[in-house]
Amino acid sequence: MFLGLLFASLGLMQLTYAQTPTDGLMMPKGEICIAVIYEDANWDHYWEGTYLRTNGNIGTFNRKMLMPMIVGGITDKINVIVSLPYVKTSASAGQLTGVEGFQDFGISLKAQLVEKTMEKSKLMVFSNLSFSTPASNYLSDYMPFSLGFGANELGLRAIGQYELNKGPYLRGSIAYLHRGATEAERDYYYQDGSYYTATMDVPDAWNAQLALGSWFLDKKLRVEATLTLLNSTSGDDIRAYNAPQPTNKVEYDQVGGFAQYYLKKGGGLGFLAYYNHMFSGRNMGQFSGYGLGLTYQFKAF
Amino acid sequence: MKIQLRYLFLLVTILAFTGSCMEDLPSQLEYEGYEFADLDEGAGEWKLILMSGNEEVVIPAPAAVGSAALNQELQDSKTKIANATDEQRKSVSYWTNNPLIRWNEIALELSVKYNLIPGPNADGTYTLPNPADPSATPNFPFAHPPYISRMLAYLSVAQYDGLITSWHYKEKFGRPAPYVLDPQIVSAYADNGLNSYPSDGAVVAITSREILSAMFPLEKEYLSKLADEHLESLVIAGINVTSDVEAGKLIGTEVAKKALARAANDGMKNAQTPKPKSDSIKNAAFQRFGWQWDNQETPQRPVGLTPLFGKVKMWNVPNVEVVRAPVPPTPGSEEFNKDAQELQRYADNLTQDQRRIANFWNDGLNTYSPPGHWNRFAKETVVKNRLSPVRTARVFAYMNMAIVDAGISCWDTKYYYHYPRPIQTIPGFKTILGTPNFPAYTSGHSTFSSAAAEVLSHFFPADAAKFKNWADEAAMSRVYGGIHYRFDAEEGLKQGKAVGAYSVAKAQLDQAD
Repeated sequence: MFLGLLFASLGLMQLTYAQTPTDGLMMPKGEICIAVIYEDANWDHYWEGTYLRTNGNIGTFNRKMLMPMIVGGITDKINVIVSLPYVKTSASAGQLTGVEGFQDFGISLKAQLVEKTMEKSKLMVFSNLSFSTPASNYLSDYMPFSLGFGANELGLRAIGQYELNKGPYLRGSIAYLHRGATEAERDYYYQDGSYYTATMDVPDAWNAQLALGSWFLDKKLRVEATLTLLNSTSGDDIRAYNAPQPTNKVEYDQVGGFAQYYLKKGGGLGFLAYYNHMFSGRNMGQFSGYGLGLTYQFKAF
Repeated sequence: MKIQLRYLFLLVTILAFTGSCMEDLPSQLEYEGYEFADLDEGAGEWKLILMSGNEEVVIPAPAAVGSAALNQELQDSKTKIANATDEQRKSVSYWTNNPLIRWNEIALELSVKYNLIPGPNADGTYTLPNPADPSATPNFPFAHPPYISRMLAYLSVAQYDGLITSWHYKEKFGRPAPYVLDPQIVSAYADNGLNSYPSDGAVVAITSREILSAMFPLEKEYLSKLADEHLESLVIAGINVTSDVEAGKLIGTEVAKKALARAANDGMKNAQTPKPKSDSIKNAAFQRFGWQWDNQETPQRPVGLTPLFGKVKMWNVPNVEVVRAPVPPTPGSEEFNKDAQELQRYADNLTQDQRRIANFWNDGLNTYSPPGHWNRFAKETVVKNRLSPVRTARVFAYMNMAIVDAGISCWDTKYYYHYPRPIQTIPGFKTILGTPNFPAYTSGHSTFSSAAAEVLSHFFPADAAKFKNWADEAAMSRVYGGIHYRFDAEEGLKQGKAVGAYSVAKAQLDQAD
């Protein structure tokens, strides 16, 4: 259950494609990349606390997302990234209705702080500051169907990448995601005790990623394998056979594969594809899903 | 430019890591001890509910004012007050001089804690909680709305009879409070001049502990600790000496016994029937009307929730048939189709406001349920009107008797007609609220709410319009949510109002007004 959370805001963008908040790429000044990503993810098991279970009244849960995104090079060392995903959720069993709509508007600034070129390799360090906010009045307190966690998020990420001139690279990143409060439509809820308010505190989270990848075909093709971890710093567990809520302590560990291909080097049309699978988690649907995307990069000024 | 942006990043980093901007969210009703609008000194003569007379519980005559024994107690009180820890002082401001509010809040929190429906076993069967072995999985109780409504009625009635008894002896013995007897003792609350023997706070602490321990057996220790803290706070607050507290405990213990004796034989233990009995109830409805409700969950639950709750002993209604709702429209009839189409329309075009109403009143699993919701309104209203403890108890007793009577009458109607839910009758219908495990007609939310509104309107006529609006909104919330037809809601409102009127009629004869 819980789907929304994860890929909400930063979550999804992490694995997806070039010039994202998490990767080791920068757009040169004046270049713009427009991308559209389609993602389809499912789960038929979810973690109630840490207990992995099924639910006959959910069956298989599905989440589809269409996300337009724009990345622009303000300078060679500073990029801005904006995105606005449209999300649709449904379940194969049970009587609860799915929902759809715009999720969170995300804006992010990425800066390259270090670029150290050595004889056969280079080292790069980036920082990324992101902000996302709900883009529609979706109800976060309708899990697992809700589109997202319904709160603002301020994220700060550090990224380091070591790359050999021959193509292989290793990248690591770590982020702290500070989440605000979300408003439910009920004015009482239980979180290991009573809360006489509609305001729910969405837990902050640490998010880390390790990626091993390489460039091929004269830097027209990039392939990487990723390990992504997310850990909420607080929150409660889903209660027995009960629905999740935005206050839950969400955790997951996910592996993924990603490929991006540019028709020609240095711009123009590109394609990307990825697949992710969660192998451990807490208060979260065990998602597996793929994404496909189209990117177009051009010199704007 | 580049450099400046780097500084900006640094600044925001610091903000992001240090800036926690969440304020503390309220976890209880925000109120403090207050001056009572009226001491209700004659309340010892009000009509009791469980007890036959205001001296059915006998307490010893207190030590006289000026006696060595009482002076010693006052001395002990002063020592305790002087040595009070921060923790104990916090406890004094938590419990207040109208602690029934706090115990009601505790009752609601336990209701939420235990309001989890048992999930299926690996083989698709369901195990129900076992009162004989409460700690087995799933834990006892499953605090569903009928359970909560009945629990609140026993709690409130026991508190009420206990407080009437306490008021009677306060008047009879006339022993002033410690802060009146000794100028060195200061009341932590308003100096309202209420006589202190026997302690009304102790009556509330003990009746509450006893009733709630019986209703939530796994919480016995927790409740005992709360009661001890509460009892201790009475002396530290300067409103009671130890003998006041001891006499209050005596009353509380005896009244709780009386209430629990009624509870043991009110029919609740037979409410959750085995499958053959449940099937025979279903078949009877099918023979009579040609329709039947079936649970739509996967795996299917073999028995609905408490099919015989409608047979539980009522408090103020002479018999359940007098408030049974009329026959609902036959599925497929024109009248039925009109209301079914309305549900489809809401499902397709629910407005923001309708969604909000559906969710605000959802009060489903993992909540205090509609009975709890109305108890919350009652608490807020009592504090606003600065009622004395005994008058507070009166409001809760009559309201909660009406609420549980409403539940009983609603459940009688539900299983008499055994009417299918919209997800059963409308092909492919999906909802934003979970459909409960019992028949549709009449709506529990509507019946509970309308009964509660009727009683609250009697006690607080200035707010009557507001209570009625809330009940109407609670009723419609189920229609917006897709789990009730309009006729379930409308008949439920009528039924609840009729039930509430019995409780009001009884309250009118209790000599309190």
